[in-house]
Amino acid sequence: MTSQGQRGARPQSRPGRPVRPAAPLLAVGTLERLLSAAMSRGADFAEVYVERGTSTAVVLEEKKIKSAQAGLSQGVGVRVISGGKVGYAYSDDLEDEALFRAAHTAALIAQSGEQAHAVKVSRSPSPTFYRVETPLAEVELSQKADLVARANRAAHQFDPRVKQVLATYADQTKRIWIANTSGRFAEDTQDLCRIGVRVVAEGKKGERRTGFYGGGGRVSFSHFDTFTPEMVAREAARQAIATLGAVDARAGAQTVVLAPGWSGILLHEAVGHGLEADFIRKKTSLFTGKLGEKVASEKVTVIDDGTVANSRGSVNIDDEGNPGERKVLIENGVLRGFMYDSLNAKLMGGRSTGSGRRESFRHMPMPRMTNTYLALGDDDPDDIIRSVKRGLYCAQFGGGQVDISNGNFVFEVSEAYEIENGRIGRPLKGATLIGVGPEALKNVSMVGSDPMPDPGMGTCGKDGQMVPVGVGLPTLRIDNLTVGGTRV
Amino acid sequence: MGRNYQQLAKSVVQRAQKRGAQQAEAYLEVGRQSSCRVRDGQIQDLTEATSKGLGLRVIAGKRLGFAFTSDFDPTSLDRFVDRAIELAAAAAPNRLAGLPTAEDLGVPSDVGDLFDPTVASLPADWKIKAALEMERAGKAVDPRIVSFESVGAGEQISEVIIASSQGFAGSYVGTHAYLYAVPVASDGSQLQTGDWSDEKRFFDELEPAEAIGRKAAQRALRMLGAKKTKSQRVPVIFEPSMAASFAATVASAANGDAVHKKSSFLAERLGSKVAAGGVTLLEDGVRRRGFGSAPFDGEGVPTRRTAILDGGVLQSFLYDCFTARKAKKRTTGNAARSYSSLPAIGVHNLYFQPGSKAPEEIIGEVKNGFYVTSMLGVGANIVTGEYSRGANGLWIENGELARPVQEVTVAGNMLEMLEGIDALGSDLQFRGSLGAPTLRFRELTVAGE
Repeated sequence: MTSQGQRGARPQSRPGRPVRPAAPLLAVGTLERLLSAAMSRGADFAEVYVERGTSTAVVLEEKKIKSAQAGLSQGVGVRVISGGKVGYAYSDDLEDEALFRAAHTAALIAQSGEQAHAVKVSRSPSPTFYRVETPLAEVELSQKADLVARANRAAHQFDPRVKQVLATYADQTKRIWIANTSGRFAEDTQDLCRIGVRVVAEGKKGERRTGFYGGGGRVSFSHFDTFTPEMVAREAARQAIATLGAVDARAGAQTVVLAPGWSGILLHEAVGHGLEADFIRKKTSLFTGKLGEKVASEKVTVIDDGTVANSRGSVNIDDEGNPGERKVLIENGVLRGFMYDSLNAKLMGGRSTGSGRRESFRHMPMPRMTNTYLALGDDDPDDIIRSVKRGLYCAQFGGGQVDISNGNFVFEVSEAYEIENGRIGRPLKGATLIGVGPEALKNVSMVGSDPMPDPGMGTCGKDGQMVPVGVGLPTLRIDNLTVGGTRV
Repeated sequence: MGRNYQQLAKSVVQRAQKRGAQQAEAYLEVGRQSSCRVRDGQIQDLTEATSKGLGLRVIAGKRLGFAFTSDFDPTSLDRFVDRAIELAAAAAPNRLAGLPTAEDLGVPSDVGDLFDPTVASLPADWKIKAALEMERAGKAVDPRIVSFESVGAGEQISEVIIASSQGFAGSYVGTHAYLYAVPVASDGSQLQTGDWSDEKRFFDELEPAEAIGRKAAQRALRMLGAKKTKSQRVPVIFEPSMAASFAATVASAANGDAVHKKSSFLAERLGSKVAAGGVTLLEDGVRRRGFGSAPFDGEGVPTRRTAILDGGVLQSFLYDCFTARKAKKRTTGNAARSYSSLPAIGVHNLYFQPGSKAPEEIIGEVKNGFYVTSMLGVGANIVTGEYSRGANGLWIENGELARPVQEVTVAGNMLEMLEGIDALGSDLQFRGSLGAPTLRFRELTVAGE
């Protein structure tokens, strides 16, 4: 399905062109003086985060390229920590006056009135889990436009019942520089691109079904030579056509089989968020105080890995300048660890796991997932389906959401089938999965051995901040999961 | 803020015209914002910021190009304008592409005040005090309030400036202030969150901090002990905030673009009765003191009041200029956008008109049913009309809110849902720009055990 076959394996740094020496948007001397200003009221820690991001997008609808778009966003965020209190100020104005105003504003959180001394930072090396051949911003616009045009043709050619195609290509190149009073100065260039195709198909009596597929990552534009727009478009069209004539899903508790890949979004919501350290520190997660306890079936091992080569959720450094890491969160059903940013690590006596992420300079970092997946099991995926007498096969998911405290999660199943006597049967519509994270994990009875990376289309929202993430799951059988639907 | 940004917008438009654009439109947003969160009687964080951004839409050779930037350095701006024009070359020519005409533009609507001098001159510590008060009031309700997921307050002042080659030049400044509390209750075996918030343009209209903290705590506490329930078809009541989110879903199905592409379950139903007789859904861009009110939309077209549903009849779809041209309709002044995006169809203030029944009466009439207080997941497909969302709330037994329920879904077909609305409360409430009274559906599927 995708060329990102290394996913789930140990990270590899690819040999490539030497990293271009990044001319910081602000001189190192300016960063140091800003840090001094941020410490001027006496504080424990200060950090300056500088970002410059460029983006392009091409949108095709009604068989025409509707628009080509480009954007530039740059700014600085200054964070000052004093005890458990945080002062944050940001500005998209990079003139000295605005920068120092931001530093002095953030400094106000500290009240001790001490005079700070000069701050010196030195460059920290960053690992390389992704590097693109040509910065995406430098790839010709016509090549990007060609991708969506090809996707459009392929979707319409797939079946005459395909009536609407919305194809998009979007990329961004984000450069970040982070300096803090621990003396760290780290930088990264984060390229990210994605194509997406949404299809509406029309069947008999005006019945309409939708399909969506897409993918990408921190990959070179040549990724789309193998992960072709035709492939993406045909998959989106296939989903829409396959579900024409779907009958209402039966509601109630059922045995559920999840297809591999993007279904990992269920793991991300059902357990991932509850393992982020801020929720643990505030005791608002139902995993609080459960370290070392059995929280899932012994078949379940959950890993968050920011180091997966070229994956959408990977980070060479997180948005606090700490290197990306691979963390085992749940091992054979036992809760092993949480995901920490540096503030929560400090307050909880732990250490940062490279999980401090933020949407942009307008936001403070907080613990976030990177690429979250369930380790492979040893069941044959076909055997898993064959093992179910009567149940629900979830081939594709729409969106989902979790309530951290009671653990309730909800998922829209956009492509679902009934399973009758071990065989996949009729398509179903209107199915939703709902459950409580740990309970669902305890009911995992079979874990497939099939590859499980998602194609790279996830974006996670928390507290209004959106960040790209990767997910993954092999074919999975969960017993006794509630299926929402209209047919009782 | 002020005149220099108007000038900047105009000069960007002029430069775009000089560089070969037949039409150009600059959309600027400038603002400052400030917010605070507290934890355990202390400040957790304080944020202060200024922001600005410029989006430029150009039409060159009937092709649409769009670029945005937050870098206002003159040299960078020149390059930025050139880039927008280059981008247009990649789009397909479309004879319908173009900015609003003089006829579309007309005169900006009179919406009264959008700016509250009180919000603009709030002392820096008001939000700290308000947030601490919410936390204190929440904890005071019951010792089982063990923590807060978040509790905070803030304010924002923002100005929108538009200039276009079609002769439009306009701006407005507005204020916002908000309070929110998300406490967590624990009974030792289960955690439950509750939330309550308010946001208004005018400071004196905000609910008191104490009341927000208390209500949020009560909402968390009443969910303790929540369980699944068995799958059944029953009357379902949405409390006002949930009814407001249902209003937003219905409005997205009335999006003229989705309708034109036949990607809405409401397409081809204009003029027909799609909802129960008492159901009126209004999009009102000129509502006095409305959170989303503005004199003109994201492309300078005067805002107005549009009945999407009137007495159950599908009266109007929502349009921006481009979609209106495609569909051979007129714009309804519903171009919504930020500086970093092209206009897309959206709403200003959207609400179901209230009915006459007290919410207690609406609940009291139900023997066995479900009162929904929070929902999870997207779950509404406007193409197919299928609606299925995770829901938490209280089970109704013999007209009383009897016990908390979680881990269930409510599902139905949206047309049947609209037709099945059998009661609208008198309790219209706005949270931000969305409003609704209590709403009762005759029968939906609740799926659990």
